Amino acid sequence: MKPKKVTIIGGGIAGMTAAWELAESGVTVDLIEKSGFLGGHAIQYTCKATSECLNCGACSVEKMLKNVVENDNITVHLSTEIEEIGKASPFSVKIKKSAVFIDGAKCTNCGICFDKLKDTGLIIRGYSKNNLPLFAINPDKLADNPNSLKEICPEGAIVVNAAPAVSKLTADAVIVATGFTPFNAARKGTYGYGRFPNVINGLDMERIKRQNGFLARPSDGAPAKKIAFIQCVGSRDENLGNLWCSQVCCPYALRSAESLKHKNPDLEITVFYMDIQNTGKSFPVFYESCKNDIRFIRSIPVDIFPEENGDLRMRLFDETQGSPEMETFDVVVLSTGIMPNTENKKLSGQMGIILDADGFFAFADDLNKTATAKGGIFIAGTAQGPKTIADSMTQAGQAAAGALKYLGVTK
Amino acid sequence: MTTDVLVIGGGAAAVQAANRLSTAEYPVTLAGPGQQQTAGKGVEVIAGATVIDVTGMPGDFTVKLASQGKAVTKKAGVIVVASELAVTPLLGAYGLTAGETVLSLSGFEALISDDAKRGKVLSGEKTVAFLAGFAQEGNPLLMKRILTCVDHLTGVTGCTAYVYINNIKVADDGLERLYKKGRDKGATYFKLQQAPSVSQDGNNLSITFHDPVLRSDIELSPDIIVCEESLTADPTHPALAKALRIDLGPMGFLQKENVHRLPVGSNREGIFVVGPGRDVENLTKSRADIDNMLLRVRALIGDGSLSVTAKAVVDRDKCVTCLTCYRCCPHGAITWDNKAIISPVACQGCGICASECPMDAIQLADFTDAEMMDRVKAAANAAGAPKIVAFCCRNSAYEAGMMAAAFNYELPKGLQMIKVPCAGKVDIQYILNALAVVDGVLVLACHTGNCKSEVGNTYAKWRVNDAYRKLEMVGIKKERLVFATLASNMAADFARIAKDMENIVREL
Ligand SMILES: Cc1cc2nc3c(=O)[nH]c(=O)nc-3n(C[C@H](O)[C@H](O)[C@H](O)COP(=O)(O)OP(=O)(O)OC[C@H]3O[C@@H](n4cnc5c(N)ncnc54)[C@H](O)[C@@H]3O)c2cc1C
Ligand code: SF4
Ligand code: SF4
Ligand code: SF4
Repeated sequence: MKPKKVTIIGGGIAGMTAAWELAESGVTVDLIEKSGFLGGHAIQYTCKATSECLNCGACSVEKMLKNVVENDNITVHLSTEIEEIGKASPFSVKIKKSAVFIDGAKCTNCGICFDKLKDTGLIIRGYSKNNLPLFAINPDKLADNPNSLKEICPEGAIVVNAAPAVSKLTADAVIVATGFTPFNAARKGTYGYGRFPNVINGLDMERIKRQNGFLARPSDGAPAKKIAFIQCVGSRDENLGNLWCSQVCCPYALRSAESLKHKNPDLEITVFYMDIQNTGKSFPVFYESCKNDIRFIRSIPVDIFPEENGDLRMRLFDETQGSPEMETFDVVVLSTGIMPNTENKKLSGQMGIILDADGFFAFADDLNKTATAKGGIFIAGTAQGPKTIADSMTQAGQAAAGALKYLGVTK
Repeated sequence: MTTDVLVIGGGAAAVQAANRLSTAEYPVTLAGPGQQQTAGKGVEVIAGATVIDVTGMPGDFTVKLASQGKAVTKKAGVIVVASELAVTPLLGAYGLTAGETVLSLSGFEALISDDAKRGKVLSGEKTVAFLAGFAQEGNPLLMKRILTCVDHLTGVTGCTAYVYINNIKVADDGLERLYKKGRDKGATYFKLQQAPSVSQDGNNLSITFHDPVLRSDIELSPDIIVCEESLTADPTHPALAKALRIDLGPMGFLQKENVHRLPVGSNREGIFVVGPGRDVENLTKSRADIDNMLLRVRALIGDGSLSVTAKAVVDRDKCVTCLTCYRCCPHGAITWDNKAIISPVACQGCGICASECPMDAIQLADFTDAEMMDRVKAAANAAGAPKIVAFCCRNSAYEAGMMAAAFNYELPKGLQMIKVPCAGKVDIQYILNALAVVDGVLVLACHTGNCKSEVGNTYAKWRVNDAYRKLEMVGIKKERLVFATLASNMAADFARIAKDMENIVREL
């Protein structure tokens, strides 16, 4: 029997897990990733352990990335998007590879391009050593620097074509794992994100911690000493029409806070929240230790005011105190959440599958959220709705199992 | 070997698991408490069963069960645990006793799904108060049930719902929406940090709390109080864990939070845990687990043959059957006849047994003692000074170290990494030999709770402590040996630890 083929759209943890599970079952996988790197958002995160692992799942992403790049049944298409997709299985899939990209077969990961073009931001570096090639072109900066890519790579690995190359694949089944778009914190204007350097979002915090091993203040690189987390930024927000809990921002904020505090016990951390969500089955125990280390205030600040030295002033209202007070922090982390991928509309049109009221991909079976109304198309991970790395992986396994059954590989 | 699967459990998740496996053409036995009437045709049911003992290895387990006073023995290639949640009313925690007007959540759910009773109890503009989140933290599963009750109530003319709650657990699909819907339809939520004071005097009920903003007490006399209940692990789990020789996780569930076990693994190959066996899960999540379990079962015993290469091998001439290895193997991979036997299927190749065996009777493919000593020697002869050897677990520190190098973090010139399958493979002899030929030694393991072999990091730490005692006796400075834990994504910390070591040995 000819091996079955599956196309997976999106190379985040959900897409990678589904790809690996299918590949392990002898299915040939095309993994289509729009950006220059596999791993999605979660490959940017760092370990949140204290004296013990807090089970954040970030290292599972590292491990899965390694599994995927080492698996011969998976063909990875980086800097590639779906142009068109057929109506029924076997699906004909037209893919479009960006005109400008770094050829993994030629790149030696020397980093010369990255160093030479540092000031332009045109070359970006991957997050993991298993992001291969380790460098990619930043499409957002391409228009500003049309000629700077020429002859910069001694290996000739930087390909500059006149137009994107379109090619055709076939797929017996498709898994949509296109993930989420993080909430754009600048939409909450009064927090000054993008204007005040020391107001950062969750993703910034993850990257800074990963790079430095501690939380460095963006304005001066000094280790943060007094940190505020503001929860539910963009999530659970009636005014924005975002009627969902992002499910991951309480866990990441609490775990990060605990790990920062473990490395620097003098750190003062305050968490502003509406409701604290669970981290896992040992949450009751974990939450108690958080309460010892962190000040929790059940109210969400409205404004942030900058000070000259980069500090940030907030009016805080502690309901156990009864009256508001001003306090300054040297870093404010906005716990931004999981929004539907901004491309979901387009993808849903291409795929012929519908979105739910919130803009995530709708599932067709309450008992199996990877099933869509269309035979042969499955969804997995945050494309379906907010969820953790662990849950994205479980769902990806379920989507893979669903595809195997659909393909007749299993009963 | 056998492709028979034994599913342990009595509820919906177990039945689903058994049916799914049976559809996939595995011969399935479902054993557990209760009757399992809904199990599919192909499923053999052993009702009212308890697991007494499990012997053998994946592909060939022998399970002794007790069922209705009789002993039953089953062969199974794979074992799947799918227990149910235990539901306990928490009325007592609020000083309440069950009655006509005081109900547990299950009681109230039963009431509103019974047409006759519902009409009677809810007629006449009833005020219903819910209490949740004070006797326990709660979870989205329970929250959904409360929100659904509130939604129902707000649809009954004249009825009002009040919810006294601490953290609203909305971290699941659709719950925030349901929460808003209830409020829009008139339900009132009092979010409190401390439980309100509740009194029950016959059918007279009252709930009072202090509002810090209004600086006053707020009292309500509801007609009905509905009280939260706890959803906890099956109380038979500790005994089951013992019989199956698997680790008991937090809160009595049968899976540790170690990410290496996700989604459905236990510490023993061939024994899987799904649904409420591993966490507070509803049927949708259980179904996702079951599909993942199917992938793992297929990978393990899929076509009825197991082809594995041995990772650890016992030299039967050296083995004195002291069974040190049997006791220390975290994956339950060792049995014995007159000598120790390692199951190649169950063995995960961590090497803990090899390092613990007092006779050096166990060797690991790719990591024999001779090879390891050669690597230490090679490290000592490599260029760069001061010379530092880092024993790095391949799951964490080795990855972090490679990452630090790839990302040009500053590393000591004389640093040599030696990859080990698990920090538990770092024999004290390796440490001492290394210290004899290099300036500094790092033993780098996974964080506590993240070791793939659960206790490899603990063994490594013990051996380092042991080495400290020995160093003291021969007068070698203990600062030259450092133990630390890392995750694979901690390149920055790897570099810092290595540089710190370099600075220390420079100073000495
Ligand atoms: C700040 C922050 C911190 C977090 N911390 C944690 C944590 O500690 N623990 C935890 O469990 N969870 C955490 N999460 C949640 C975690 O990020 C998600 O669970 C996880 O990233 C979901 O993976 P995914 O594959 O579904 O989506 P993504 O990570 O979004 O990956 C989707 C991939 O698809 C690609 N893609 C998108 N559109 C297309 C297209 N049209 N064609 C081709 N490719 C496309 C994207 O480029 C991306 O690579 C955090 C989330 C945030 C925002
Ligand atoms: S805290 Fe997260 S990244 Fe660190 S070891 Fe644990 S799961 Fe891995
Ligand atoms: S997880 Fe926490 S911070 Fe995130 S939306 Fe939910 S309640 Fe808010
Ligand atoms: S190597 Fe590890 S898993 Fe294998 S038998 Fe020894 S202790 Fe058990």
